[in-house]
Amino acid sequence: MINKMNVLIATSVILLASGCTNLGVQPWERDLLAQEGMSLNNPVDNALDDHIYFSKEASSGGKSFGGGGCGCN
Amino acid sequence: MQLTHRSKPKVLNVKAALSLATCALLGVNPVAAQGEGQSTEPWSFDTAVLFYSEADRVSALEAMVSATKEFDDQHFLNLKLTLDTLTGASANGAVAQPHAQTFTRPSGQGQYQITPGDTPLDDTFKDTRVQINGQWTQPLGQHLTGSVGGHLSKEFDYLSLGFNANVGYDFNQKNTTATLGFSHFKDTFSPIGGIPKPFASMGIGDSNAPNWDGDFAATRLTDQDDKNTTDILVGLTQVINRRMVTQFNYSYSVVDGYQTDPFKILSVVDGQGISQDLVYESRPDKRTKHSVFAQTKYHFGDSILDLSYRYMWDDWQIKSHTLDSRLRIKLDGGYTIEPHVRLYSQTAAQFYQPFLHQGQLMASFASADYRIGAMDTYTLGLKMGMRLKDGNKLAVRLEYYSQRPKDSGFTQPGALAEQDLYPGVDAVILQMSYSF
Amino acid sequence: MTQRAFSLLKQSDGHSITFDAMASPCEVLIDSDDPLLASEVAQAVTQEVWRIEDKFSRYDPNSLCSQINHGDGQAISIDNETYLLLNFAQQCYELSDGLFDISSGVLGRVWQFDGSDKIPSAAQVVEVLVRVGWPRIDYDEQQIIMPKAMEIDFGGIGKEYAVDRAILSVAALTDEPVLVNLGGDLCASAPRHNGQPWQVGIEHPGLVDKPSMMVSLYRGALATSGDAKRFLLSQGKRYSHILNAKTGWPIEQAPASITVAAQHCVEAGVFATLAMLQGENAEDFLQAQQIKHWVIRHPSE
Repeated sequence: MINKMNVLIATSVILLASGCTNLGVQPWERDLLAQEGMSLNNPVDNALDDHIYFSKEASSGGKSFGGGGCGCN
Repeated sequence: MQLTHRSKPKVLNVKAALSLATCALLGVNPVAAQGEGQSTEPWSFDTAVLFYSEADRVSALEAMVSATKEFDDQHFLNLKLTLDTLTGASANGAVAQPHAQTFTRPSGQGQYQITPGDTPLDDTFKDTRVQINGQWTQPLGQHLTGSVGGHLSKEFDYLSLGFNANVGYDFNQKNTTATLGFSHFKDTFSPIGGIPKPFASMGIGDSNAPNWDGDFAATRLTDQDDKNTTDILVGLTQVINRRMVTQFNYSYSVVDGYQTDPFKILSVVDGQGISQDLVYESRPDKRTKHSVFAQTKYHFGDSILDLSYRYMWDDWQIKSHTLDSRLRIKLDGGYTIEPHVRLYSQTAAQFYQPFLHQGQLMASFASADYRIGAMDTYTLGLKMGMRLKDGNKLAVRLEYYSQRPKDSGFTQPGALAEQDLYPGVDAVILQMSYSF
Repeated sequence: MTQRAFSLLKQSDGHSITFDAMASPCEVLIDSDDPLLASEVAQAVTQEVWRIEDKFSRYDPNSLCSQINHGDGQAISIDNETYLLLNFAQQCYELSDGLFDISSGVLGRVWQFDGSDKIPSAAQVVEVLVRVGWPRIDYDEQQIIMPKAMEIDFGGIGKEYAVDRAILSVAALTDEPVLVNLGGDLCASAPRHNGQPWQVGIEHPGLVDKPSMMVSLYRGALATSGDAKRFLLSQGKRYSHILNAKTGWPIEQAPASITVAAQHCVEAGVFATLAMLQGENAEDFLQAQQIKHWVIRHPSE
């Protein structure tokens, strides 16, 4: 279903990606980013939360795959 | 040393040879020397136990063990085992009435009564589920990482099999990563009592009556059905500066197959709001979802802020917003405290109806399940983490989750005007995690 | 000879020990609040580092290295430690196709990298090059025979070796996390108790726009090879102090600085040197080896 929203998002992502070459840090500036609290993933907590919200709400995924799973009621 | 393609095997041997030479010089065991940064225990474990409890409704206990091992430089295997049990009552979709109501259990064996004025809840649900996941991740090239995984989930009446694959390409000195992912799940549902016919009337009577079984079977379509879910995910992760990293994802998901809830019904009420009939719900067998997701993490020095937003829209006309925020505060002694606030809002599915009117034109699909109705939810939580003497981590998380279904603007005739058709559901979540 | 001493200081989280050795400022960080243990660790580390310096320094006339270098064709007795070091040098020679050669120290007779423009003539280089050639050195577990006019120089691996030995001597005393840093070549025995990485500053004196860089290290070693202070400048061309042992001339287009991370400091140091010897291909070499590295080049390159 191609609609305006899809096109807008695709364009924004491409624009963001092309502008991204100026952003970032040198390898020796990764001291804070390397800390475990800065990781974008928290697999165990995320998996448990996703299971709850997938069972209780109409949305799933976004951060990662939301497909399939269980017959949660 | 020339670096041509022909001499590639020789080039790679330098690292291994030098590693062995070093171990010979220092008199250390080469087997232990697997490479810098490797932990001495090969497997690292993350375990958690979660208790979820809604007031007067569903309770669940879930336990998870996740094990990760690095086999070679940047080659990871993750295995995860999850067990959960579910008990308690959940809304069956019928509306509260000023008189007592009787419903038939999903199996067809037995009935249950609901007190006047109460939201009808079916407490038949007792299910235990086992889930196994495996994921293998490894570099595919200098800037390319690939990952594949499998999923299996089994409960008494449900089987889910799936796999996923994704690739990540990093560039700009690893400041930018582009990911493309794909997943496919095949679920088979054999609900107790079988799959009901859409909008068939729920027989209310005596399960022990001689013609009960025949009557019940007449409301059944088949024993089982299945559904396929296919997801595509496109993502971009970008380091903004020394303190900040962001991620943007777009997901496209198609669900094809049986998506009706065979245990849910709708009340058919007359002009006075009195229930005349109970019919099984029916949902479309195709659903296409899109979502955009953005997350940012910012390091303040003593604390880290995690903020994310997701917007989802699908062809069932459901639109949802999710705003999730966490602030991880570092305290002395290796303790962390992390308050959490999550706000969620969704619009109703196009075929959502809290009840049906007698004699109305029948739509192809209808469901009174509040989980696809208009609803706001909010979660407030606090997590405390600590690092133990031996380097292992312990954490406790306590959260309050409130689901607030909203009045979608359906007029409530007669007796229904006095009933609460959108009761809120409040839950407490308690989780303990241990990583070693 | 200057008095050898170390100073022991209590920090907010642990202890630090500072001392001088191998012409470099040295420090040891201990993630422990126990002053007795810190003192023991200080003794063990300084003892080991000064022992290695006294044994393998070619500038010390009393060292074993000096004895070997004045062997003049006679067999000099060696112990097991020296034998292992010679074996290691042999393997580095083979792995580098002869570019890493610990008998190339004599090239320093004609090359003084003092930032001036005094480069030797081709004849001078040829004359000193005949004194270089690892395969001509004969050794076994008991002794070494150096041909006349040849010398060995442990400078390329001495400091890194001392770091690794120091870490091993601490491991015999305690499991507490320790970081040993000898003039920029360092190793951390274990992650810190609070889960945070050791924050290490790598100095690049002489590089105006990059005076130092911060590296986060959980465990393992870092070694840096750099030419910031030692170089020659003649007719607009910069001569790095990394000499090609086969030609006697400096490696062309060597990076200004290479830092390598590995499990052991000796390994990291040799990698950094091997990468330097690749000149303009240094980055490709390091990437092909799939080891963590940081390369800084001079602005003009």
